[in-house]
Amino acid sequence: MIQLGGSLVAVALLVAFTAWLGVARPTPPLDADAAKALLAVEFPDHRPDAIWIAADGAGMIARAGTLALVLWRRGDGYVARDLPWSAVADLKPAKGRLAVRVPDARPVFAVADDAWPPRELA
Amino acid sequence: MLKAPFDPVQLAIPFFVLAIILEILLGRFGKAKANYEPRDTAMSLSMGLGSTVAGVLFGGVVFATTVWVWNHRIFTIPMTAVWAWVAVFLLEDLTYYWFHRIAHERRIWWASHVNHHTSTHYNLSTALRQTWTGGVAGTWLLWLPLSFVGFPPAMVAIQKGISLVYQFWIHTEAIKRMPRWFEAVFNTPSHHRVHHARNARYLDANYAGILIIWDRMFGTFIPEVDEEPCRYGTVKNLGNFNLFHNVFHEWIGIAKDVAGSPRHALGYIFGPPGWSPDGSRDTSDTLKAKWRARVEEG
Repeated sequence: MIQLGGSLVAVALLVAFTAWLGVARPTPPLDADAAKALLAVEFPDHRPDAIWIAADGAGMIARAGTLALVLWRRGDGYVARDLPWSAVADLKPAKGRLAVRVPDARPVFAVADDAWPPRELA
Repeated sequence: MLKAPFDPVQLAIPFFVLAIILEILLGRFGKAKANYEPRDTAMSLSMGLGSTVAGVLFGGVVFATTVWVWNHRIFTIPMTAVWAWVAVFLLEDLTYYWFHRIAHERRIWWASHVNHHTSTHYNLSTALRQTWTGGVAGTWLLWLPLSFVGFPPAMVAIQKGISLVYQFWIHTEAIKRMPRWFEAVFNTPSHHRVHHARNARYLDANYAGILIIWDRMFGTFIPEVDEEPCRYGTVKNLGNFNLFHNVFHEWIGIAKDVAGSPRHALGYIFGPPGWSPDGSRDTSDTLKAKWRARVEEG
């Protein structure tokens, strides 16, 4: 138990050191070019009809036929999931936030106003 | 003969910690490529700590089984002979290659191994992101033939530890390439970056432990090419930083699939990751085929 306790302290110190001096990858807010590049990497077999970028640039939703291609920032990278478009189109934003439910996460997207879907995707 | 007089991994832990600190500092001061994200690092280190606890919990079963096999051995190989160490080095490394290959190519074993691959970073802390469920998955059984042939369990345990310690330093972006002769024979940061990459062209490759020759022999070697930098993680990266989700998500996925369609249980359990009865999901093979088609289309 003493060894385990010591190991836990060592892990905590190392994580604190990482938070202090570690260099995360830069993840500036997405713009149109970055969004397209990200889509090309994560969904190379899809041709999105329309792309919407979250107001804070921390995520995006693209529409490709009957699919919603969802990407959001996690740490210093992005996570991609595809959902039926209907599952996204029927959502209701509240207070400028749109929460999307995927099996292992609930990413929240900043919307400029509470109108959904936005005109880019409508 | 039964219990190893020392554990190379335990002895190397201070070196692991110092090397991680050094890599962080080199990254901070721009002397080497090294990205660290705190939550990602926390998960890697917690996985490493948890795996040692899991190892202790399951260690009795593994040890008892190994002793039983050793008691029924064919030969008695002396632990003091140099040739025996050369032999166990080669045979253990070959065993590791096949363990690692099935751990990627069959879903039940992938369920145990996937959590080593869920980091979207490739740094020394990633090396410590070890499984908690290896005992349950039973891949340790693959090493039993070595004891059955006559290698003392202590010898096998030490060699396994040496292999694990060797594999620590190759989890880095700080080293671009080793000398050509070294890249030809040994597993290196470059070869192992490919192994951790989620780019379709790099999937299911470079399973080596210490010697890359096994991949070259069995057709699973893919070189790192500068035109396509490695992107790390799994085909579907985790949506959260939940430690327990990382440990159990694939096991839960298997359980859900089997419960939903019991008659396809064998395929879901022993098929390749991504297997589905109607082919609606992607396996490494289908992802690679799509990538090849895209390349050919130009």
